[in-house]
Parts: sequence; C-alpha cells; structure tokens
Amino acid sequence: MKSETSSQLKDISPDLIRRNEDNPRLFFRPEEIDTLMASIKTYGIQVPITVYQEGGHYILIDGERRWRCALKLNLKSIPALIQRKPTPLDNLLLMFNIHALREQWDYFTIANRLPDVRERFKKERGWYPNEGELSAATGLTRGQIRRCLFLIDLPKKYKDELVRELSLPKKLQKLSEDFFIEMERSLKTIQNRVPSAVENTNKARDVLIAKFKTGVIGNITDFRMLSKIATAVDNLGITESRARTSIATIFNADNKIGIEEVYVGRFGLQYDERKIALSIDSVIDYLNTIGNDKSRLDKKLRASLKQLRQAIDKVLED
Amino acid sequence: MPFDTFSSRLQPVALAGLKFCKNRYGTNGLRVEEEIDSNISWRPSFYMKPNPALIVAAEVSDSLYPGILKIAGHDVFRFDFPISILLVCPLDVFMADTKQTTIKQLKAHGFGIITVDEGNRAVLQHACIPLAQHLSEEELDSELSGLTPNQKVLFRGSHATYITNEGQGLQGAGQIVEALVNAIAKGAVSEALTSASILSKATADIIDELYSLKDFREHRAALGGARDFAKEYRNTVSHPARNAKQAIDKIRKCRSGFIDAIRISKNLYQVLLIKAYSSRINVT
Repeated sequence: MKSETSSQLKDISPDLIRRNEDNPRLFFRPEEIDTLMASIKTYGIQVPITVYQEGGHYILIDGERRWRCALKLNLKSIPALIQRKPTPLDNLLLMFNIHALREQWDYFTIANRLPDVRERFKKERGWYPNEGELSAATGLTRGQIRRCLFLIDLPKKYKDELVRELSLPKKLQKLSEDFFIEMERSLKTIQNRVPSAVENTNKARDVLIAKFKTGVIGNITDFRMLSKIATAVDNLGITESRARTSIATIFNADNKIGIEEVYVGRFGLQYDERKIALSIDSVIDYLNTIGNDKSRLDKKLRASLKQLRQAIDKVLED
Repeated sequence: MPFDTFSSRLQPVALAGLKFCKNRYGTNGLRVEEEIDSNISWRPSFYMKPNPALIVAAEVSDSLYPGILKIAGHDVFRFDFPISILLVCPLDVFMADTKQTTIKQLKAHGFGIITVDEGNRAVLQHACIPLAQHLSEEELDSELSGLTPNQKVLFRGSHATYITNEGQGLQGAGQIVEALVNAIAKGAVSEALTSASILSKATADIIDELYSLKDFREHRAALGGARDFAKEYRNTVSHPARNAKQAIDKIRKCRSGFIDAIRISKNLYQVLLIKAYSSRINVT
C-alpha cells in the first residue's frame, strides 16, 4: 500500500479501517445509529470519513458512526479522506474540534479525555493550558469546560455509576450527566458557604442519589434550591446553624424529605419577599428618575401604579 | 477480539448470546461479525450453520427492534437460503417494553428473541423459523376471511405452531384440510351418494372417490386442489431437507403450503355450503 503524504479522497474497504483508540466518544446510542443507517442505506455515505494510514490499514480520525454503519450494512467501500498521521495532541484535538462544530458529545465523553488533552498539551508545548487555551484548543466554550470539570472531579465510584447509566438506552437511564453536574454544583456551593453542613461528601452524594432515584427529589433543578439554602446565610441573613439544620435534613437517609419540601417550607417565602423587595427597589428607582415629569408616564403604567397603591394601602392599613 | 466495537454493557451480552447459540446450534460454520452473503446488506453479530440447510444469525443490540433488522429482513426474505434471525438483547431492554408492543412487532415480522440478564444468563424468549418461511399475522388475517370463526381459530392455532416450527404448523393446517374433506365425505354418505367405507380411507383416496362421483362434478376443482395439496404437503413435512437445494425448495413449499391450505379450505367450505352439509369439523 502506497503511503500518503497529503490529503487524498479514496474509496476504501471498511474492513481495512480500525477505530481510533483516542476517540473520546464512549457511547453509540442505537437510536442515533438507526437513523444514520437508514439514511446511508437510502442515500449512501455522502460525507467522507477521515482517516490516516498506518501500516496496512487506516485509523479513523472522524466518522466512527458512519464506519460502523458501513460495516453493519455490509458495504464494500466507504469514501474516505486520507490525511497524514497527526501528532498525539492533534489526533485528540482534531476529534474535539470536529464535534465542537458539529454534533456535540456527551459531557462525560469530553470530561473523560480533557485530562489527556491537558497532558499532551503540556508535553508538546511545555505548559498546562489555562481555561482560555483549553477552550481555544478544543473548540469548547468555557461554560462547557466548567461543566466538564464537575464530572472530572467526581470520585471513581460515581464516574463508574454514570458510565453504567449512560451506556443504558435512554429510556432506561435514571441518572444523567446533568444530574451529576447539578448535584456537584450544589455540593460545591454548600462546601463554600456552609462547610460544616457536609461532613462526608460521598455519604451526602449517596443520599441525594438514592432520594432522586426513589422520586423524593423530584427534579434535577431542585439542586438549585439546595444551593439557595446554602447561600441564604449571605442572601437572607439567616443563621448558619439554621442553614446547616435544613441541609442536614436533606442529607438524612432515614427520612423521605426532599429538597423542594425543605426549601419551600423554610426559605421559599423569604426568597420571594427578597425578590419582591428587589422589584420594589427598581420601581422606586424608576419613579425617582421620572421625578415630577408626569407626562412621561404611560397610561397603562399609571393605571398599574394606582392599582399597586391601592394594594399597598390595603396591606399596610392598621 | 470479537465484539470490540460493543459497549462494556453489550459485550457480555454478546458473549453470553454467542455461548447460548453455540450450545443450541453448534459451532459449524460459526462466523463473528462477517457477511453471510455479499447480496445481504447486513453483517450479523454472529451466525452459524447448524445443518447444511439452515443458517441461524443473531444481532446483538441494546434496541429491541434495531433498524438493521428491518433492512436485513428485507434482504434475507428474498435470499434463496433459509436464514433464521434472532435478536440478542439485555433483559432490562426486553422488560422495559411493558406493553410488549415492540416485542409483538418483532415476532410478527419473524424474528426470534434471546435475552441476557445481569448474571449473563441467556434465555430464548421466542423461537423463530427461517424468515423466508415466515407468515405474518396480518397476511394470515387477510387470507382467513371467508372461513367460519371455528375454522379461523383452528388455522390461528396452527399458525402459532408454524411460527416456531414450520413443519408441525403446516401439518396442523393440513389436518384442517383433511377434516373438511372428511366432512364432505360424511355429507356424501348421509345422502347415500357413496358407502360408509369411504370414511375409513386415507384422505387422498377419499378425495379420489368423491372426485369420481357424478354429484361432485361441479366441485372437481376444489377436490383436485385438495388432492394435490395432500400429496405435496405430506412430502414437505415428512422429509427434512438434506441439502441446500431441497431446503430452498422446502422454504417455498412450507410458506405457500400453509397459504394453500387456507385457500383450499375456503373452497372445500364452499362445497359444504352448496351441498348443505354440516360444516362442523374435528381436528385431533
């Protein structure tokens, strides 16, 4: 086989292609493969895959799903763009960038390989990339990288649990990446704001996971309420011990009390009042800006203000 | 390494499914992730040739009805060699289909199902016959119109056997034809058109005798069809295919034999109606 030195388009047998061990993608969902397979069966492979040559075969850079479909459909050849062999860092970054511009991978897939990107970056360029450099190199936004960091920092036991869940067909999954990201974000907030509330983070994780699986915690967005309980010390001026007691109730495996129940019962009203106070402040600011120039008041707004005055009078009446 | 493109969840499922099939069908002609034929747009996860006239192919998937089976089904149905197709899936995927909608669809389209539980125990949930011999319930229903409810029930029973054992199923359909022939013969005896000794004869001889009667001249087409069928299906059922050519022949005969049995039964039923004989039949 002739060795290629520059990019070249060729029809090659799928049997000569090997998967790239560096491909960060871990999960190939049957429903996605089915859709692609139906399209390939009808229209063929319209976009060539990208490979590089190594010995007597080719290694995939881009197009593992198309290649898998070609094998499954028993196609005799597949259009492929043959590139020169990339450096180890480029090999990984090429795949990140292809997916950043196209269909995004699961966060766990990205998170799993980001440490490798950092290490290879260091090896080839001499320093560890900062968040901005990592973003530029991979094509990921900083927000995406931060979300990935929550997953990277998970203890192995929970990473394994997430992998098990993600390898299930969608309808059998109970825990998602978003669940872990939201849970970790709230735990981090608690550790920063009320550190005494978390004696054993893994124990807290176990309880939260169990309560979520049994429906005691009804939604992954409930973790935002957990963060708000932790920030209530600063935002609402409540005592740390009150926040700690509330968090301890949620972290208690022996009860069936969820986050929403604690939040709504103990903090909801105060947060609502705080929100209204902030709204009133902005109304007052606006009215002060208008001053005596009543002509600037819109008819509808004037009517609303009158209604508001009546409501206020009614509430404040002795 | 086999199945290296499968996820860590599916690999043990594939290996357990393969082990199960090796025990059940042997290892003759075993191929893993290779094509059966260049004309079939499907590379099964594995397949084997338990005998010279049958290929058993399996698709391992996390989906209860993977799209590739629809594509494969189309090609295999038209392929001139008997191929049975089994889906191998994790038990939780099978159990998640609580209303069995997809499972029923899979069975109706002629596929068998093997499940593998968390302990890697494989269980055959539904057996199947070669796809080209498969007769779907939709086809069956459309063929059955025109028969009495009792006859429909009898054919549905035979069809239930047919989808897992084509020989026995076809035999069951043949017995319905025989019962109708007997009913006609009983009617002829009650009208004194022939002697009661006809009832103890073999089906082919009963048909021959009825055929020769002047009163049945109008019904010779129906009787002749039954006569050909009796001769043909007995051979098909009794003699297993010994080579690929015979197997291909059997594929065609089993499927068309079952449909013929229904059509012939309709004609025989018409004879019963016209002659005003009792259409009550007994199938043992």
